[in-house]
Amino acid sequence: MNAGWQHHRGWRFLSAGGGFLLLALAYMPILWLMVLSFSERPLSAIPFPLTLGWYEQMLADTRWRQPMWTSCWLALGVGALSAILAAAVGRSILRLNRPGRVIALALMPLFVPGLTIGAAQFLFFRIFLGLRLGIWSVFIGHLFWALPFALVLTLVIYSRFDRVLLDAAADLGAGPWQRFRLVEWPFLRPAFFGAGLFGFLLSFNELPRTLFLRGTTTTMPVFQWAQAADHQSYVPISFALATIVVAVTVPVLIGFFRIAFRQDDRS
Amino acid sequence: MTSQAHSKRTLDWDKLVVRTFLVLWLAVLVVPVVMMLAFSFFTTEGMQTVFRPTLETWKTLFSSGRWFVGVRTLGFAFMVTAVALTAAVPFAFWLSKRCSSVALRSAILVAMTIPFFLEITSRTIVWRFLLGSNGPINRGLEAIGIPAQSWLLYSEPAVLFGMVILYFPSMFFPIYMAIELLETSLLNAAEDLGATPWQAFRLVVIPLAMPGILAGIVFTMVPAMAEFVVPQLLGGFNVNMLGNSINAALAALKYPTAAALSAFVLLALVVLAVMLRVSAKRSGVLASAAEGLQA
Repeated sequence: MNAGWQHHRGWRFLSAGGGFLLLALAYMPILWLMVLSFSERPLSAIPFPLTLGWYEQMLADTRWRQPMWTSCWLALGVGALSAILAAAVGRSILRLNRPGRVIALALMPLFVPGLTIGAAQFLFFRIFLGLRLGIWSVFIGHLFWALPFALVLTLVIYSRFDRVLLDAAADLGAGPWQRFRLVEWPFLRPAFFGAGLFGFLLSFNELPRTLFLRGTTTTMPVFQWAQAADHQSYVPISFALATIVVAVTVPVLIGFFRIAFRQDDRS
Repeated sequence: MTSQAHSKRTLDWDKLVVRTFLVLWLAVLVVPVVMMLAFSFFTTEGMQTVFRPTLETWKTLFSSGRWFVGVRTLGFAFMVTAVALTAAVPFAFWLSKRCSSVALRSAILVAMTIPFFLEITSRTIVWRFLLGSNGPINRGLEAIGIPAQSWLLYSEPAVLFGMVILYFPSMFFPIYMAIELLETSLLNAAEDLGATPWQAFRLVVIPLAMPGILAGIVFTMVPAMAEFVVPQLLGGFNVNMLGNSINAALAALKYPTAAALSAFVLLALVVLAVMLRVSAKRSGVLASAAEGLQA
């Protein structure tokens, strides 16, 4: 590097400042909601003195429990099924002679806003087919929102797999199950668990589709949205709940990325 | 062992899996969207949807002033995209090519990803507490002698601010990936040939990052066109957008109106995608990108 580039290093760091600012601003509300959940006076500028009162109220409150269970089970189901489907469909797509079109079609939901898809699915299921919406329609909506992400992950990781290895395993006398278990699965595994985690989190936090497809089911994001829309009742109980969810989600994600990056370094 | 018969059998199985998948895909995603387009040509009488094709819903959409909501939504989507793009390109370049610490780079990448997986209502509504007249920002301003700024909340700037923060990562990641693919040796070559850093950035980085920039624009415009959480929570009732109108129409059982508004969102996005494609083709961006990928 010569002096010219060195000289401009300061400027370049400055030009990246906008990105740093926006990144910091993305975390500011997350931190502030954590602070407010411990604040005795959340409506004032200074959050002190601190209290655990909102958490006590939250524990005494029963309204959020059903939505929380619904969201957990729903997200577990969506995560598991999207991981399995992505693994099954992803490996088949890559074996086609011309996979391009199928992949393009599979990624379509990424290019349509959630609200639009939700409205379309609502009109189709409820009005056109006359079905009673409930947790099943939310599940379908979430599953087909999580699947494109799961598929991308599977396709990217699995495209490194060389099928000659399977022929080699067959020549060495491995049966179909052994070929899958010992040769293919180790390649597929990171994509499988990554897809499962992403599916879980996407479902757990999904709002626009759920609003339309829920019937009378309430998930956690819908509960929080209803609390927010109701101006009077928006007390920091919601912040206490959100704080707990963040406190669980962020370490899990960081752990996942650490494992994923470490494996990347090794290969 | 007849390896050929074996691979033929697996190919048949693969085709079956993919076909089943595509049928499900059509039934759950494509058919509903097509049905929605059809719905926009029906009307509502009383509380019932009348299944007779007519342009009535589209006409009332334009005569009732809802077109203004559409224009406002487009305007906001463009502004959000412009601000995010301006911040994302230099930031992505710096992170990919000029940040020498691997640990810092991975930390930033993870930090950019995490908010995508966090619920958006709570982390948007907190801004009410931060930006409100009693919030720490206004109190801080008062403390240094500046009167409280009421336009910080329930205003167009507040909505713009909230949306830019939300969509910055969608803009950043495609651009970052495109710049990651760019060989650092090209920058060194430009430098050896006497290019100033700004020239190298403008003539080498930007053109080669163009596919990522286009993808970033699309991934920002798509959610921005149907945003409803930020306008409702930070705009109060002052800043209505298409997403809010769609919600309201469905709540009022005006299904054809909701369908027409959603169709308008889709239409705007398709027009945008075509425009991007044409302009990219004209400037030869995609061709050179394809060449780069093949090489």
